[in-house]
Amino acid sequence: MPRPEDCETLCLETKGLSVAYSSALVVDNLNLSIPSGALTALTGPNGSGKSTLLRALSGLLSPTHGSVLLDGRSISRFTTREVALQVGVLAQGPVAPEGLTVLDLARQGRYPHRPLFARWSEKDTAACDRALSLTGMTELGDRPVDQLSGGQRQRAWIAMTLAQETPILLLDEPTTYLDLAHQIEVMELASSLVRTMGKTVVTVLHDLNQAARYADHMVMLKAGRIVASAPPAEVMTVEIVREVFDVESIIVPDPLTQTPMCIPVRRRP
Amino acid sequence: MTRVVTTLLGLLTIVAVAGLAWGDYPVPPGELLALLLRPAEAPPHVEMIVVGLRMPRLALGILAGAAFAVAGAITQAIMRNPLAEPGILGINAGAALGVMIVLVGLKNAPAYLAPPAGFVGSSAMALAIYLLSWRNGTSSLRIVLIGIGLGSLAGAATTTLTAFGAITDVQRALIWLTGSVYHADWHDVRMLALWLFPPFVLTFASFRQLDLVRFGDTAALGLGQRVDLVRAMMIVLCALISGAAVAATGLIAFIGLVAPHLARRLVGPMHAKVLPVCALVGALLVPAADFLGRAVLAPVQVPAGIVTALIGAPFFGFLLWRHRNAAA
Repeated sequence: MPRPEDCETLCLETKGLSVAYSSALVVDNLNLSIPSGALTALTGPNGSGKSTLLRALSGLLSPTHGSVLLDGRSISRFTTREVALQVGVLAQGPVAPEGLTVLDLARQGRYPHRPLFARWSEKDTAACDRALSLTGMTELGDRPVDQLSGGQRQRAWIAMTLAQETPILLLDEPTTYLDLAHQIEVMELASSLVRTMGKTVVTVLHDLNQAARYADHMVMLKAGRIVASAPPAEVMTVEIVREVFDVESIIVPDPLTQTPMCIPVRRRP
Repeated sequence: MTRVVTTLLGLLTIVAVAGLAWGDYPVPPGELLALLLRPAEAPPHVEMIVVGLRMPRLALGILAGAAFAVAGAITQAIMRNPLAEPGILGINAGAALGVMIVLVGLKNAPAYLAPPAGFVGSSAMALAIYLLSWRNGTSSLRIVLIGIGLGSLAGAATTTLTAFGAITDVQRALIWLTGSVYHADWHDVRMLALWLFPPFVLTFASFRQLDLVRFGDTAALGLGQRVDLVRAMMIVLCALISGAAVAATGLIAFIGLVAPHLARRLVGPMHAKVLPVCALVGALLVPAADFLGRAVLAPVQVPAGIVTALIGAPFFGFLLWRHRNAAA
């Protein structure tokens, strides 16, 4: 189902963004514009500031300098609820309370849409149903989240973020700790949200080849700075991989999708 | 849910009838019913025993039980820790210290000062735990450790007061402190009911906030909840409830730990159901503990607080054992 056009225009960008944890700069003076209606992958080595950047983009972390702009206005000037209506966030490895069912989890996604003490509405039910069917969780609605497999659990959490019905979705390492089949499942879902619903998805990914295959736009970070920000074909080069990861590699086209694929050779001495 | 509530109400009725009927002067259930239906015709001594002594004791037990239970449910949600409980975290000990200062420190302290003193004590303690364990968010383990530490400190201060206070005040205070409902009269019941009513209404109305806040800061903020505000409000409500309950009955241990767990077992984790069921479980447990304390070693009366501790301590051990593999 196509989404209204305003998804296309609602843009998320950073201007001179710096974030420091107790005086150590984690994100350093970043200017980044997230393309609307596309899938953006944030990649880079451990500690390069990917997750921190994602948290700053969601407005959960206040910048030390600079700002995150949502639709041209600093995100810190929005209320928590206003942000939650535009940007959905899936944290890394979230834990559901014991015994919570998939449906009850999805229902939490309606929180920002419901005024204090408002009753549950038809619209809320419809949004949850849609979220469960998009993630293929309709049949598992009554199952406790803590009894699901890793992939199902991740899909249940994505269902919660989808029930939030935000034009922008931020996913922090949604495929980490999942086996191959479940990784594919989650990435296919993320990419179909962009293709069929016109959502803007930003996701932190560890696997470069996964990023190159599914992303429209790839951001490579090193030590809190952007080394490259462009379509995967321009970002995945021998030079950039060497600079960012200190690894010698060969880049070949993915036999299936023709997207660049990185084959690591050795770590640079 | 309906079945759970009906069963709990049924059990509560049994405990209530047992508590009203049993004692040095037994009142058979038939006579109890007659008293309730036609109070005018009942013999005055029966009315005095049942309505004047046993009923307020039962009512106070029900109210205090519900209060300890709901305070426990709130703490477990906001601290995101299944072991969090106002008793274990020292919030109740803070309330006890507050009341003790009033009872022992002031000459002829009027009784109405006890609930506010309890509230001041419990809030001061809640605030101290929160501030001391705050470090970019509140880790569960740190909260429990700091709570236990501060709780023993408050306990030590309470003991010190008993060593230096006037003997009659101390005696009165010690009886109250063990956690009992024996000296209950209708005045105590009314005062506790009045103190509990507003925080109970607010807590029950906030079930959605409690559902969300236990997801942790990132998820709750991401969904648009003002987490710090909600948590602060909930701590105030919890301190009000614990403070009033401790002022009325002293320290009745473990209800706040056991009742929310039983409630979640019975109706799942959503607070719209957990809160009322947990209040009912608490309302059942305290009168039941009081009844056991009266019946088991009769004519000696064991305070309800000691009975709940005897049952609750192994339960705490069981929970620790069950969560032994969970990350701190």
